[in-house]
Amino acid sequence: MEFAKLDRYPAVALAGVQKWYGQYHALRAVDLTVERGEKLVICGPSGSGKSTLIRCINALEAHDGGAITVNGIALGKDRASILDVRREAGMVFQQFNLFPHMTILENCTFAPRTSLKLPRGKAEERAMRYLARVHIADQAHKFPAQLSGGQQQRVAIARALCMEPRIMLFDEPTSALDPEMVGEVLRAIEELTADGMTMICVTHEMGFARRIADRCLFMDQGEIVEQAPAEDFFERPKSPRLQDFLSQILH
Amino acid sequence: MTFDFALARENLPALLNGAWVTLMVTFTVMAVGAPLGLLIAFARMSKRRWLAAFGAAYVAVCRGAPSLILLYLIYNGLAQLDIVRHGWAWLLFQHAFFCVVVAFALNHSGYIVEILRGGMEAVPAGLVEAAAALGLSPRQILWKVRLPIAVRYGLKAYQNEALLFMKSTAAVGAVTLVDLTSAANEIFYLTYDPFTPIITAGVIYWVINFVMRTGFGWIDRRLNRHISAA
Repeated sequence: MEFAKLDRYPAVALAGVQKWYGQYHALRAVDLTVERGEKLVICGPSGSGKSTLIRCINALEAHDGGAITVNGIALGKDRASILDVRREAGMVFQQFNLFPHMTILENCTFAPRTSLKLPRGKAEERAMRYLARVHIADQAHKFPAQLSGGQQQRVAIARALCMEPRIMLFDEPTSALDPEMVGEVLRAIEELTADGMTMICVTHEMGFARRIADRCLFMDQGEIVEQAPAEDFFERPKSPRLQDFLSQILH
Repeated sequence: MTFDFALARENLPALLNGAWVTLMVTFTVMAVGAPLGLLIAFARMSKRRWLAAFGAAYVAVCRGAPSLILLYLIYNGLAQLDIVRHGWAWLLFQHAFFCVVVAFALNHSGYIVEILRGGMEAVPAGLVEAAAALGLSPRQILWKVRLPIAVRYGLKAYQNEALLFMKSTAAVGAVTLVDLTSAANEIFYLTYDPFTPIITAGVIYWVINFVMRTGFGWIDRRLNRHISAA
C-alpha cells in the first residue's frame, strides 16, 4: 500500500527554488525532478550552486523561495517536516564527518539507536551488515582517526545507510581523498546502485558518472545549464559553458 | 633554617584535619561548579539576547573578581542584610563552609563557562551537520555530539583551573575555616617555627595536587582513547 502510494511521487521535486547568501544569489529558480531509483550526477565549477542544491534537499540549508518535495513530503520550515525529509535522505559529505569520539560501530549505531530507538543488538546487527557492504566490517571496533580517508568515507556511507534512507545524497564524496583512495569509495557507491536506491551525487569523477548516471546535470551560476544522459553529456555537450567546463576538467 | 621532624610528626594530625577541610572545599566546589558552569554556559550561548547578556555578565563578575573578594562579600556582606539575616537563607549563610562553597563555586564556574564555550565553538560544524543529516534533533546533537567533544577539548584547560583553584582555597582561613594553610599557620603561632609546619603543609598540597593530576590523566586517557589509539 505504502509503496503504491509512493509511486505517485518523484523522489525529489524542486520547483522554482531560490537561495540567497546575503546579496549573493546562489540558486536562481531551480526546477528539478528526480525519479525514484534514478541516479543523478551533478557537476559544475565551484560556486555554481551544486552543493547548495543538494544541501537544500535535506534542509542543511534553508531555501528562500520555491518548493522542495522529497518522496511526497513538502519541506517546510517546521522541524517535523525537516526531520521527515532527513529520514528519507541520507547524506555523505566531502569531509567524512565521522564522530571522532565514537568507534566505527558506534558511529553507525548512534543515529538508529537515538533517533529510531532501535535496541542496541538490532542496531549493531544492522551496522555490521552495512559495514560489510562497504567492505569495512573488520574495522568496526576502531576509531575514525585510526582509518585512512577512503576507509573513513566508506564508514560514512555505511553510517548513512544504517538509517535505511530511500535517497542518498553525495556531496563531492571523493574530493578530499588522496588519489589512490578514490577508487575504493567510488566502487562502494557503485555497488549500491544495484539496490534501486535514488542517488544524487555531486562529483567531477567523469568515468564514475558515465558508469552509474542515468542523467548528468551541469550547473553554473546558480542555474541548471544543461542536462543529458551521461553519453551525450560528455560527448556532445550543447551549451558553450559546458563545453568550456569539460575541456577544462578533461585536459 | 631547620626542619624539625619531631614537630612535624607531632602536628601531623592537625595538618591532616586541615587538609581534609581543603579537600572538602575543593571537591564540593568542583561538584557544584560543574553543573552550574554548564547551565550558565548554555545561557551564555543562548540565542535569546537577555540570557546571553546574563551569561556574559556572570562570567565578567564571577571570573573577574578575586575569589577572596567574593568570599568577603558573601560572608561579611550578606550577613548585614536583614532579608538574609532574618530569612530562611540564614540557616545556610550562617555557616562559613556554605559561604566558602558559594563564593568559590561562583568563581570556579565562571571559568568553566568559558572553557565549555570555547570547546563548543571549536566543534567542527561538519560534525553537527552530519548528525543533523542523520535525523537527530538539536537537543540530541547537543548532548551526544557537541558536548562530549567540547568536554574533551576543554579537559586540559579545566585541569589547570582546578589545580589553581585547589591551591587558592588557602584563602578560606579568612572566614574562620581551618584549612591546611591556616592549620599550618596556627602551628607557627604556637611554636614560632616558621619552616616546619608550612613546609609540611606544602608537601601535603603537593600530594593533593599529584593525586588530582593523576586523576585528570586517567580521565584524559579514557576520554581520548580515540586519539591515542591512532
